[in-house]
Amino acid sequence: MGKKAQERKRRLRNGEIPTNSFSDIAFLLIIYFLVATTLVKVKTITAEMPTGEKNAQSQSDKTPTINLRAGDIHFNDKKVDIEELNNKLAELDLPAKDPSKRVILLESVQGTPYQDYFQALATISAHGGVVALVEEE
Amino acid sequence: MKASRVNRKKRRHVPVPIASMGDIAFLLIIFFLVCSEVSKDNTNLQVSLPESRHVAKNEDTFAARVAIDESGEIFLDGVRVDGAKDIEWGVRALLTSTVTEEQRYVQFKCDSVISKETFEPVIKAISEAGGRLKAVGELEN
Repeated sequence: MGKKAQERKRRLRNGEIPTNSFSDIAFLLIIYFLVATTLVKVKTITAEMPTGEKNAQSQSDKTPTINLRAGDIHFNDKKVDIEELNNKLAELDLPAKDPSKRVILLESVQGTPYQDYFQALATISAHGGVVALVEEE
Repeated sequence: MKASRVNRKKRRHVPVPIASMGDIAFLLIIFFLVCSEVSKDNTNLQVSLPESRHVAKNEDTFAARVAIDESGEIFLDGVRVDGAKDIEWGVRALLTSTVTEEQRYVQFKCDSVISKETFEPVIKAISEAGGRLKAVGELEN
């Protein structure tokens, strides 16, 4: 009888639980977790908005306004493209201003797609603006 | 004589201690289980994200996740809700235990073709509930 067979026989006689494969099982579980885990990191923009209850404050003449009308962007009633909007907002130097002076009004017509809205939101946020949504009366 | 001694030396069995390997492995599993967070993001949603060149990788954790899919259905933490009012109450409830500004981020995912009538009330609801909007998008090519 071989040495191994004798050893097996001895173990069976003693009633030992075979634990040799435990580490293999554990490592297989680790590999499963590593493979199945997805580290999701979404890309976002942070839109600074006045939080809390609705404010019925009327629009000030000096507050910069962005209008989204049928695919066009209007900045202070002047038609601009996204590049010009970037430049105009950069000229305002919003981060240097007091938070109350950083408000940019965002107005849009019915049916404006989220893509256009998102572009405007992202541009305002990138230049440190606080977005105030204009509600139709 | 000399050669046979060498052969005997070669045959000597050197056991590698592997008794603690199982313990180490299970400790690693427990570590992963404790440290991992189950994603509440509903990945089955049909959402084509809007694009902008200003988006950046998000490092903050979200207090709530709001999504609007391509059919205009609204979801709060993966559960379908009826409208913006439900979002406001839901987000308000989730934000009650928050202390700092950084704990009030709300992820907002919306399909790029959804019109203003659907998404704007939701954005307003998040804002009115005290959430700080983090709109998800993709980097413009």
